[in-house]
Amino acid sequence: MIERTNPLPAAADAAVISFTLNGEPVRLAVPPARRLIDVLRHDLLLTGTKIGCEIGRCGACMVLVDGRPVNACLTMMYQLEGRRVTTIEGLAGGAEALHAVQRAFLEEGGFQCGYCTPGMIVSAAALLAERPDPTDDEIVEALSGNLCRCTGYGGILRAVRRAVAIGREADGTG
Amino acid sequence: MVMAFGTPGRDPEVLRPRDPAEACRMKAALGAEGVFVAGGTLLRTQWESGAAKMPGALIDLTALPALDGIAEEAGALVIGPLVRLSDLVRSEPVAAGFPLLAEAVRRIGAPSIRNLATIGGNVASRTGDALTALLVYDAELIWRTERRTETMRLEDWLADPGAGEGFRLLAGIRLKRAGAAAGGRAGRIAGGFRKLGRREAFIPALVTVAVLGRLTEDGTLAGVRVAAGGGSAVPSRLRAAEAVIEGARVSPETLVRLGEAVAGEYRPASDAFAGAEYRRRAAANLIAAEWFTLCAPDRKEGEHDPDP
Ligand SMILES: Cc1cc2nc3c(=O)[nH]c(=O)nc-3n(C[C@H](O)[C@H](O)[C@H](O)COP(=O)(O)OP(=O)(O)OC[C@H]3O[C@@H](n4cnc5c(N)ncnc54)[C@H](O)[C@@H]3O)c2cc1C
Ligand code: FES
Ligand code: FES
Repeated sequence: MIERTNPLPAAADAAVISFTLNGEPVRLAVPPARRLIDVLRHDLLLTGTKIGCEIGRCGACMVLVDGRPVNACLTMMYQLEGRRVTTIEGLAGGAEALHAVQRAFLEEGGFQCGYCTPGMIVSAAALLAERPDPTDDEIVEALSGNLCRCTGYGGILRAVRRAVAIGREADGTG
Repeated sequence: MVMAFGTPGRDPEVLRPRDPAEACRMKAALGAEGVFVAGGTLLRTQWESGAAKMPGALIDLTALPALDGIAEEAGALVIGPLVRLSDLVRSEPVAAGFPLLAEAVRRIGAPSIRNLATIGGNVASRTGDALTALLVYDAELIWRTERRTETMRLEDWLADPGAGEGFRLLAGIRLKRAGAAAGGRAGRIAGGFRKLGRREAFIPALVTVAVLGRLTEDGTLAGVRVAAGGGSAVPSRLRAAEAVIEGARVSPETLVRLGEAVAGEYRPASDAFAGAEYRRRAAANLIAAEWFTLCAPDRKEGEHDPDP
């Protein structure tokens, strides 16, 4: 349970929402229609989740809810009651170990400015959790909601394929 | 320890109805200040763009689990409006019986949008990309009001949503099984769905078309259905186009007449990116091309997939 003390009094129209955030149970008193992106970035200072278009079109704000990618700019807090939320900060197992997709993005240079990268990695991680050995078409489809203004996608696709290979090695099947 | 955030009084409250009747009562009591919310994806774009004002209260339809899930009924499939688009795409009965719907939904948004968005929200918007596919399956909409359940053909509702729309809750989408639907004669069911956008994927449609019919053993078409939509146009069946190829054999000559009928009948809406004339022609060409492909002699028996 998150034990940080909070200076703000409960908002008059707040509701208490209980969910799991990066493996930790949390209870937050928030206006129920507040966007998840605002709670993450402004209230909890988890700024790894980026914000771009705010209308579901760029994928910079991608997080996992019950393991599935969703846009945090479209998600309202009441929709998270009882759910499991994973942000880029919670993707890796521990503080030291990177997720295979994170490692692959580093190794393959899957980014330039890096703004789209957390969202790309979250979408790719969701794909690989469901399909450890996806086809190229499946990779493109899984990343179709994530826009990158810098890389031209070549490095990103290479990185996802590299993550697939890392997964195979770890499996002993590669 | 509970942490509290947010600015009091600025965000709408969220109401959780206990049953469909209560949801309708809430809507009736609140009027424009209360809005049904399913996935909230379309509403969010409308609030952010200023196309709609954020209301005082959101009526959370996900509080009504009875509106979720896909059920088999005698001769029909009933899809709950709360079914997420991603779950609809994965549904075996939908893929098996209504592949054009699966294809249309697979082309909506991106995976993360489909994980939030519902089929009910797509239908209720009156311009969703799933509608043309639902039109050629002659879907029925099950509506709940405070006291009654009403069933209405999708085509009729699109043509005229009727009075008191705001108080009606979409409670189900009923799809009758094919066979009965396409005239029941021997032959194979042929159907296709096409979405044309400004990009290949993750883009609202400029034009969507869906066609369905039965290619009988003598090479003529029976039970032909053709629908077009896209953009801000409310989709519709194209009856004159259907009449051109009903009972006919697909030939270059019929396809030209079919294209002319579509162009004469379809009434798309212009926007900043594509004019109505472009969309009319695109719809005509897509529909003619679709029938040409579907009736090509090298198609395998029983083939009913929307994509080559
Ligand atoms: C980035 C992005 C891309 C998109 N791409 C596409 C696309 O390619 N094609 C497409 O068709 N759409 C697209 N959309 C629009 C939208 O996501 C879909 O139409 C979606 O299916 C709406 O479902 P929802 O559950 O989110 O609806 P909501 O936003 O919750 O509701 C939409 C409307 O329907 C009403 N409503 C919802 N459920 C019911 C019900 N059971 N009874 C009565 N009224 C109801 C609501 O009051 C509201 O007016 C896109 C949206 C975004 C943000
Ligand atoms: S900020 Fe959420 S998709 Fe762009
Ligand atoms: S690396 Fe800059 S937007 Fe993708």
